[in-house]
Amino acid sequence: MKNLFLLAVLCLLMGKLHAQSPARFTLQGRAVDTSAAPLASSTVMLLSPRDSSLVNFGRTDEKGAFSFKNLKAGNYILKISFVGYMPYNQLVKPTGEALVDLGALKLKPITRELMEVVVRTAKAPLTIKGDTIEYNASSFKVPPGSTVEDLLRKLPGVQVDQDGNIRAQGQEVKKVTVDGKNFFGNDPKLATKNLQADAIQKVQVYNDKTEQAKLTGVEDGKKEKTVNLELKEEFKKGGFGKLTAGAGPASNGISPRADAKGNYNKFDAKRQFSVIGLGNNTNQQGLSWNDYQDFRGSNSFNWNDNADFGFSSGGRFIFFGGDEDNESLSIPVDGRAGRGFSNNVAGGANYNYDTKKTKLSTSYYYSQTRLQLDAERNRRNFLEDGSFRTAETSGQTNFNANHRVSLRYEKAIDSLNTIIFINNSRLGNGNAGLFRLQEQFRVNGTSGPELLSTRNRTNNRTIAATFGSANTLLYRLKFKKKGRSFAASATYQINTSDGTLNLDATNEFFQATSVNEQLRRIRQDQETTSLRSEYKASLLFIEPFAKKFFWESFYNFSLRYDEVDRNVLDVADVGNSRNDSLSRYYRNNYIYNRLGSSVRYSYKGLNLAVGLAGQQFTIDGRFAVDQTSSAFRFIRRTFTTVVPNVSLNYDMKNNRYVYGGYDLNVRIPSSRDLQPFPNNANPLFITEGNPNLLPELQHGVNMGFSYFNPGNFTNFFANLYGNYYVNQIVYSQLVDRQTLVTRSFPENLTGGRTIGSYLDYGFPLKKTKATLRLNTQLNFGRNLTNIDSVRNETYNQSYNIGTRLDLTPVEWLTFYGNANVGISQTRYSINTGQNQTIITNNFGGDLNLKLPAGIYLTSALNYRVYKNERFGFDQRVPLLNVSAYHILGKAKKAEVRLSAVDLLNRNLNVSQYAGQNFVSEERVQTLARYFLLSFTYNMRGVQAKMRRENF
Amino acid sequence: MNRFILILCGMLMTTLSLAQQTEGVVTYQRKTYWSKIIARMTFLSQEQKDRAAQTWKNDDESKEKMKLSFNANESLYTYASEQGETEDGQYSWRNADLVLYRNFDKDKKIDVMEMLGKTYIVEDSLHTPTWKIGNQIKEVAGYICMRADTEDPIKKQKITAWFAQDIPVPAGPERYSGLPGVILELNLNEGDVIIEATGVAFRKLTPDDLKLPKLKGKKLTDTAYDALISQHIAESMTAHRNPFWTIRY
Repeated sequence: MKNLFLLAVLCLLMGKLHAQSPARFTLQGRAVDTSAAPLASSTVMLLSPRDSSLVNFGRTDEKGAFSFKNLKAGNYILKISFVGYMPYNQLVKPTGEALVDLGALKLKPITRELMEVVVRTAKAPLTIKGDTIEYNASSFKVPPGSTVEDLLRKLPGVQVDQDGNIRAQGQEVKKVTVDGKNFFGNDPKLATKNLQADAIQKVQVYNDKTEQAKLTGVEDGKKEKTVNLELKEEFKKGGFGKLTAGAGPASNGISPRADAKGNYNKFDAKRQFSVIGLGNNTNQQGLSWNDYQDFRGSNSFNWNDNADFGFSSGGRFIFFGGDEDNESLSIPVDGRAGRGFSNNVAGGANYNYDTKKTKLSTSYYYSQTRLQLDAERNRRNFLEDGSFRTAETSGQTNFNANHRVSLRYEKAIDSLNTIIFINNSRLGNGNAGLFRLQEQFRVNGTSGPELLSTRNRTNNRTIAATFGSANTLLYRLKFKKKGRSFAASATYQINTSDGTLNLDATNEFFQATSVNEQLRRIRQDQETTSLRSEYKASLLFIEPFAKKFFWESFYNFSLRYDEVDRNVLDVADVGNSRNDSLSRYYRNNYIYNRLGSSVRYSYKGLNLAVGLAGQQFTIDGRFAVDQTSSAFRFIRRTFTTVVPNVSLNYDMKNNRYVYGGYDLNVRIPSSRDLQPFPNNANPLFITEGNPNLLPELQHGVNMGFSYFNPGNFTNFFANLYGNYYVNQIVYSQLVDRQTLVTRSFPENLTGGRTIGSYLDYGFPLKKTKATLRLNTQLNFGRNLTNIDSVRNETYNQSYNIGTRLDLTPVEWLTFYGNANVGISQTRYSINTGQNQTIITNNFGGDLNLKLPAGIYLTSALNYRVYKNERFGFDQRVPLLNVSAYHILGKAKKAEVRLSAVDLLNRNLNVSQYAGQNFVSEERVQTLARYFLLSFTYNMRGVQAKMRRENF
Repeated sequence: MNRFILILCGMLMTTLSLAQQTEGVVTYQRKTYWSKIIARMTFLSQEQKDRAAQTWKNDDESKEKMKLSFNANESLYTYASEQGETEDGQYSWRNADLVLYRNFDKDKKIDVMEMLGKTYIVEDSLHTPTWKIGNQIKEVAGYICMRADTEDPIKKQKITAWFAQDIPVPAGPERYSGLPGVILELNLNEGDVIIEATGVAFRKLTPDDLKLPKLKGKKLTDTAYDALISQHIAESMTAHRNPFWTIRY
């Protein structure tokens, strides 16, 4: 009843409103200019006065007339605009008549100067506020360091005389304000002469009331020309930093632990300066990726810096075997905790300057590590007629310090020419002390009793100084013709090292037949200086043809020069004597030439390339016991090979992607593998180079498929690959049957191969809450070596199955679990009785909890199982880390954290491996349980980490 | 007499140009600033956002060329070339399906869009957004344009459009239209994505210019499309993923 009554009242009211004015009306008018000439085709818009939203629009006819019919009663803003004129705005209120005629509406022109200079030339938007025209001053280019006065001179309608007096639109400017406020009194020049043009965002020129009128509140009708300078938002400028410091008491035989790390970063639109420093005795050696990115900023990753041009996909690089024992020239990044016990200190500074045309980045980084490593190793070597076991206990202390400098400069000379220069250098020094006890046991047949054969005690001291530098100059040229390009590069690399090894070893041979051979002591001073320099040049030319094809050609030249001078002195109580069998002087030129060409088809995501290259290697070396020797031995070899290359990439609909290819990688032997002298640092395992080594050829076939469905968060990835080796560089062995001393040397063998596959499938169990991933990895390999000049074939089969479960059910709890089971079987052709099965399993779980009162708890358990049943090896290592933290303050910039690392006190670094003709296992004593109370201050705020990082 | 001929010529030319001004092709460059988009992710800390911005300072923008064919009644917006490619043209990739058709007379649109691993077809009436007309003018591709603003209520984006009064067709790039002139610049969410006209060519359109591809895909109405997008954004944010890797910003 009540509702009915309300409805009736409402109806009445509505009716009354309707009766008052007509529901619809027509609005008409005419747009004219100041001389009353009609403005045809001007845009006429009706806006709602509430939020100026567009209600209706139309155009004026040739006479400048417009009309809107059937308009709903209500207020409107009428807006007429015509290019070159100030938009006309008028509030229209319905008069109650059916027709509202506004008559002729005059549009004022915008001065030609403003249109030409501001809008057309400087491309700055004009904002019209009633009579005021405002525009963006930052669109006007003035040289860096210019003052506002210089800027004003550039603006249309503004004149600045020699004394700095400003006139705008012909009138003298009495007042300059900054962000609407007076700037140091009333002298307008003060602001314009002192403020930097860079700081200005907008300039407004308008008529302001006089000070008199403002003070008295009485309008005197006079207006003063005023310039207002609006300052730029400083959003592109800033600094941030982070500091973490923690300490923990001594416990369970471990000395107190401490960990500190800090960084600071200052930047604006072009520049970035950052410093970083860290120190700890908690095995944190390198920077994490996040630290590295914060440190290097825009120079963290550089694509396109590769100067060794080659096939556009796969096989682009030429492999120069191994890292030559040298540390990398670039800053080491590794977030994992190291093994053993280490003390680490590092720090550096980085500066980047980036503009569209010039990019400069320089950095300096120092790092040092003192590592204490106590290890137990067990190694079983299989021979044709039996085997022997080497049990080793060793303790070593290594100290390593490195200074690293980098410079990268990129300059776009114009839109077609670019030059890049890159330098990375490292200066290092280190020393090491090693004590080692080895005992060798002989086993005849497959499972005979162990017989002690050899015992060795070694005391080695090493001192080394190293220097490395790589310099690359890269030139890229684009042509007017789209797709055609040329590039040239030149590289110079140098590596020097200067080292001394003091070797003191006692060897007891229990199986020796004569007393003379039972005990041998080696005391030597070995001095080795080595120089490796490399000169490289490359050319690349790409020519497009027939729209979808590219013809790519490249040429590479490389000369590597190695020089080693090694002097070995036998140390005796009476005097030192030169050891001619170990001393060497060696020089080698390794010249490499490659010329290649390929044709690539590229269309709608299908990229298919087929290419061929020819390459030639020339070795030109000589060696003797020393420089002055007359008995030099020469090595001269030339090796030519043809390298084919096929690659396919196909980007299909709905996030499916297929790739595949065939390539031939060429690996040049490392300097060390070529050096013709024995290294007896471990007298029971002597390694020797081989100057006759040829490059290794690796034929590779791979194919893969990936699929991602973002709708249901499912993904699938499959990969299959196979490699076949020609002239593979393998390490063959000769074992002295009496002493069990092994000599290992590299040689070329053909016939090794690997086949493998990787599958990964991930899908949500419950969208956004639970995700399961399954993966398998299979590997089958055949490795060849000569053991005592008998060809041994080692077959490896490894099966890995893994699963991961991500649970993110609620904001306050997340769990990440993983399980991996790995079985690896190894068969040896020379001794089938020694076939091995190694099991490595890994189970883990991370739990993150948000507790009441702003306390967060995070824990990680990692349980590893290592098994080799044949030898009764069964090692289980559970590692549990727990930490609790609390974020402090309203601004959330600080955090206190209590961490327990390896709460179960079980940390042992274990590894096991079955290779060529051996099985080995290693256990390293590693920093175990410790506690740390740490404090973090982060200028950008601390955020609780409940989830894994995922972009 | 001379003057008279000149005026006549002038008048002829104006009428000619007026007649031509409603049919042609606008080419655009679409720039996406990824670090700005990353900074919109609610699940990232300030530290992570700053890290991304500093690291990708030099490689922040990705560029795409787009085109809009229009006449007085219809418009069609799609990629300028049939494949995506690097600036030097040396590498190409497949473009995800994207054809946006508008018919202003019939108040109808057909949007073919590949996203979330499927091709969708949104067929509905125009549903023009509520534009607010501003007091700013600027030049884009040689045309004086006026500013208009609106909002995307689903993606929660501020949209700024600059439309040319001299081309009286209510067409525009991406899914935006309904202004008194062709939109020559579109700024999504304060510069996260900028679509700027690089040229306007007036010419008679061929039937191919407005031709839709074979309509194969899942059909949606505007309401269903909005629901799909807002669900995807909400889910992605909960799962700590950037939703815009897989839908168009």
